[in-house]
Amino acid sequence: MAALKTILYLLVYPGFLFLFVYSTFVEWFDRKVYARLQNRMGPTHTGRAGLLQPIADIVKLMAKEDIVPDKADKKVFTALPVVGLAVVLTAGLLLPVWNIDLAAASPISFPGDLIVLLYLLSLPTLVLFLAGWSSTNAFSIIGGTRVLTMLFGYEVPLFLAVLSPAVLAGSWRMAEIAAFYRAHPLLILPNLIGFGIALIAVQAKLERTPFDIPHAETEIVGGTFTEYSGKKLAFFRLMADVELVVAAGLLATVFLGGFGGSVLPAFVQFVLKTLFVVFLLSVLRAVTGRIRVDQVVSLAWKWLAPLAVLQLLIVILIKGFAL
Amino acid sequence: MKFQIPIGPQHPALKEPISIRLTVEGEVIKDADLRLGYNHRGVEKLAEEKSWIQNIYLCERICGICSHSHATCFVQGAEKLLEIEPPRRGVYLRYLVSELERIHSHLLWLGVAGHEAGFDTFFMYTWRDREVVMDLLEMISGNRVHYAINTLGGVRRDIDETLRGKILEGLAVLKARSEYYFKIGAAEPTFVARLAGVGPLTKQQAMDYCAVGPMARASGIDRDVRKNDPHDFYNEVEFDVATADSCDVLGRTIVRIKELFESYKICEQILQKLPDGPIAVKAPRRAKPGEVVSRYEAPRGENIHYIVANGSDKPERLKVRAPTLANYPATIEILKHGFIADVPLIFAAIDPCICCAERSVELVDARSGEERTLRFSDLRRMANDRARSLSLQRNVAWPL
Amino acid sequence: MKIAAFLPELFRHLFKKPATLDYPFKKIAVPKDFRGTPFLHPELCIVCKACERDCPAEAIEITSVNEAEKRFRMTIHNDRCIHCAQCVDSCPTTPVKAMEMDTLHEIAAFDRHDLKKSWEYVRALPKRPVATPAPVKPAAETAVKSGA
Repeated sequence: MAALKTILYLLVYPGFLFLFVYSTFVEWFDRKVYARLQNRMGPTHTGRAGLLQPIADIVKLMAKEDIVPDKADKKVFTALPVVGLAVVLTAGLLLPVWNIDLAAASPISFPGDLIVLLYLLSLPTLVLFLAGWSSTNAFSIIGGTRVLTMLFGYEVPLFLAVLSPAVLAGSWRMAEIAAFYRAHPLLILPNLIGFGIALIAVQAKLERTPFDIPHAETEIVGGTFTEYSGKKLAFFRLMADVELVVAAGLLATVFLGGFGGSVLPAFVQFVLKTLFVVFLLSVLRAVTGRIRVDQVVSLAWKWLAPLAVLQLLIVILIKGFAL
Repeated sequence: MKFQIPIGPQHPALKEPISIRLTVEGEVIKDADLRLGYNHRGVEKLAEEKSWIQNIYLCERICGICSHSHATCFVQGAEKLLEIEPPRRGVYLRYLVSELERIHSHLLWLGVAGHEAGFDTFFMYTWRDREVVMDLLEMISGNRVHYAINTLGGVRRDIDETLRGKILEGLAVLKARSEYYFKIGAAEPTFVARLAGVGPLTKQQAMDYCAVGPMARASGIDRDVRKNDPHDFYNEVEFDVATADSCDVLGRTIVRIKELFESYKICEQILQKLPDGPIAVKAPRRAKPGEVVSRYEAPRGENIHYIVANGSDKPERLKVRAPTLANYPATIEILKHGFIADVPLIFAAIDPCICCAERSVELVDARSGEERTLRFSDLRRMANDRARSLSLQRNVAWPL
Repeated sequence: MKIAAFLPELFRHLFKKPATLDYPFKKIAVPKDFRGTPFLHPELCIVCKACERDCPAEAIEITSVNEAEKRFRMTIHNDRCIHCAQCVDSCPTTPVKAMEMDTLHEIAAFDRHDLKKSWEYVRALPKRPVATPAPVKPAAETAVKSGA
């Protein structure tokens, strides 16, 4: 029975199947919002209102010819898309989607799972860097180095920003943090600066405008993905989508009070809160232009990191005096 | 670590084939080199085989965006050679289309700049607004890209009172939108931070490298054919030459937005003062022998056509100097001190029209660095020689 | 300098109708003087060959079918046509031009020869020579040419 349950967790909810379907839906939502903000239509024809467009894109990529460059390190080059997808799917399992009782908030929930999730979210960045580096293409290499350069910028502010709600809740376990903020909804407010920083950092992690520097098409063609095609590219696309869902889920858990109630309300809350975060990310994407990689680093260290420290200070003061 | 990055001949930042080779150290460019000749079309040679009237349409097809510029430049010259004077109304309508084309070209450029800077929302908005002026041009001329409004001795289509009202309405919409971009759009920090200080070209450099158009005007040189060597028409309307002193891509953007306003002003004056009368006079088929240089301020800069007539119904020689060609030397100089991330912006800032500027095949000897210009016949001879010397492979059977 | 200066504009557009059109399913009307595809009124053509001479793309071809009956065939190669409407301007017939443009603009074919259009007709005599005697002369010229 336990084994069956584990398999259901892994394959159906919140494992592979759910994340696959939901991440394609989120991609559609993102594309549609982005298009509507720009006074365009977005996907319209595949499925009702273009809902199946992301799946159609993946199916199309799966059917395309798969080319591995002659000079590339073939084993690494082939393994990376699968590793990347596996990593983000694993991260998805950690999200406390069953926040009904604290004992079994998610398939695997344990004290300190916040740190593990952050670690698992850092791995795709490394995968992208290796993907660029192992392609041995001039554009890919530049893309790869840009991935790493950006990582040094946004990673610390993100960790600091996520740290402060955890400090206030006094736990490293996401389910407990969420439960704490559901019990004290007003305490969400002092974390708003941290939420903003985390949004920007997540945007950078997901490499979306204004941080789409590693695959800036007008500068370095496809960046890290230049040499990838067919199934491997499809895996990378799916990885980015799932990463978007997981990152949105993380922000919703830590900053917006998670997903409580019984089974159905928890699910509805999960959808609504992640879509809210994705909506904010889409607006951020539409409202900005791409910046340069040196500007990312200076933005991160001149503004985001000090603000994150300030946020931490506020949280510590509140914890010291008010609680 | 130094390595070479090829930008083009096929690259997402380039809409047409050209090859820029950059030697980079990390993100910083150390050296730049430009190769032309991927899209030579033989327009100048073809012009020698077509009659005067056919050549208008040929010149129009030198460029898609500034189609009217090339046609007008050619027609201005041809009219001098054919010794005809277009009627006032025809002239006014011709330059009305000119200014509308400038508006469309600059709006297009703004969008491209937004796209190159990764600011796609700006790109979508400007291109949506550009539809307004495209629709106006379609209503005036019957087509959206190649207006074909020029003919020898005037224009081919007249506008009536309802169309005049529609143009004024469209201009009002565009004016409001341009004001919005000028005030708010240019204040978006991620966008401005990408443009300011990028691609510096001092006034002296702009002079030395003979930059033209918005490129020169953004470096503080108030050079504009419409003021310096104008057709009579431009003395009858009031406008200013837009300049900026910041000498960078931001300046080039500002110059173009300011020019939009000047163009709205000119269009409104044209529509107010539009004289009555015929729109064209009949043109003779043959021109007396002679030569003429025609200058025209295209949206991208100064456009020069040199035309020789030999007494027949065809020009003996047509030489086209497109503005992009004049801006290449300055661009290469700018590129040498930039970041990779700025290449698309710097290159886009000259509003390149690559196939306008394609001339001839240039060969660079890799060992000596010597450059040669070859004619097609020479190339064919070389190819034949080479085919003959490869005697072993000559009798290979077709594999299928 | 404002941060996110575009934000109000963006949100306004979120609830507006898209500016784009669902193109192949919904179509937009072209303006009334749109230059589409050229076509011939064969009963009006006087075979002056002005259109053939002035066509910049050499897309118009007029051949004689039967000298005695004065039968001619005009072929318009729409694959070469650049839709400049110079043929309409050059056409001297009055008051109705023998060459005209329609508003057809979605012309695509798998084979360029499918785009060819031809008309076979008897040469029309220039109508109303009182209005402009000009058309007579090119017609006569043509007759000489085709006779040679």
